[in-house]
Amino acid sequence: MKKNEFVSQLSEFCEFENENFTLETLFKSINGYDSLAVMSIIAFVDENFKMSLTASQLNKITDFNSLVELIGKDKFEDE
Amino acid sequence: MGAKLMAFGIYLPEFVLTNIQLSKDFGRWEPEKIESKLGIKERHISEVDETAGDMAFKAALKVLQNYDKSKIDMLLLCTQSPDYFLPTTACILQNRLGLKTDLCAYDFNLGCSGFIYGLAMAKSFINAGIATSVLLITSETYSKHIHPKDLALKTVFGDGAAATIIESSNQDQIFEFVLGTDGSGKDNLIVSNGGFRNAFDPLVQEKTTDSDNIYSDNHLFMNGPEIFNFTNIAVPKAVEQCLVKNKMSLDEVDYFIFHQANKYMIEYLRKKIGIPKEKYYVNMLLTGNTVSATIPIAIDDALKNGKIVKGNKVLLCGFGVGYSWGAVIIEV
Repeated sequence: MKKNEFVSQLSEFCEFENENFTLETLFKSINGYDSLAVMSIIAFVDENFKMSLTASQLNKITDFNSLVELIGKDKFEDE
Repeated sequence: MGAKLMAFGIYLPEFVLTNIQLSKDFGRWEPEKIESKLGIKERHISEVDETAGDMAFKAALKVLQNYDKSKIDMLLLCTQSPDYFLPTTACILQNRLGLKTDLCAYDFNLGCSGFIYGLAMAKSFINAGIATSVLLITSETYSKHIHPKDLALKTVFGDGAAATIIESSNQDQIFEFVLGTDGSGKDNLIVSNGGFRNAFDPLVQEKTTDSDNIYSDNHLFMNGPEIFNFTNIAVPKAVEQCLVKNKMSLDEVDYFIFHQANKYMIEYLRKKIGIPKEKYYVNMLLTGNTVSATIPIAIDDALKNGKIVKGNKVLLCGFGVGYSWGAVIIEV
């Protein structure tokens, strides 16, 4: 998965309303980013990367980029 | 010797808290969005002076309407909101219900796994020849543990009680169990104060979660994402172990009833385990998550609506606070 596809697919999965997110978008600035959205991120990463992220790891993420780094940049295709 | 489930009595408090009301009170979260994501439209909330013991009593009266109460020789009450520290609420219920005194009665403190553990204890006492007719009641008033400003938990949880009769039978209809515990997760679903580890603090400070929910250490705290992680690992494993222990495949199970935590979580589990939608119970629309009462409420509803019929083999799975979990296959 490419990073920009990751941003759009994750946003759709979490049902975030605004479509224009970038890797620099801060999660906390997103309307609808709540504990259920955090669960959705866990579920999305589990399904697509076979990784279990903990709540404490997710507390430290700020923007989509920081989530990409948490998953591991090597798991993403080059743009 | 075997055991079978005989009858159910359900009690839900009169007062109904709707998504519309929650949305009005808190000025955030749209009612429709709560319903579509969590699968909950409304939940019943006990009155200030209505306890888990009162609710257990009312649920028991319903199931005893059509059952000879003189046969009951064991009363198990599962609750995490007992009437007193002591005596045991089950003892009080023996007297209130007019059950005979030749009765084994006690409470046990479990949450969402409680019904499965109750079935395991009922079956064990019956098979050991200690009891012949068990009244298992799961009754919970989590609303009394929740901070009045905690929108997230007020949305998820509802109060409710379920009374189930399990009787000795020549034909065993409660099959093999899988029970599990992992206390390392204790901090992720907890009321920290009020016991003897930490006393109730009348001057307690409000705390705010990352999702802007307010709670205090006197109240229920839930780390939703961590609970989600726990269930994603524990539940598929418990289901698999339960199938192996019962020498059955997933396809041979007629229906699956899991603890109704919230729609999002249990739908995710369904997909992860690979259970077909038509064989999976999802309905907490008008009750919310009633903790240890969700599974018997669901069995009763599934029977009434024909989703399960006599002879069906149903896999039950409860999971939550502790962490604690359990699974079993029953024949209805």
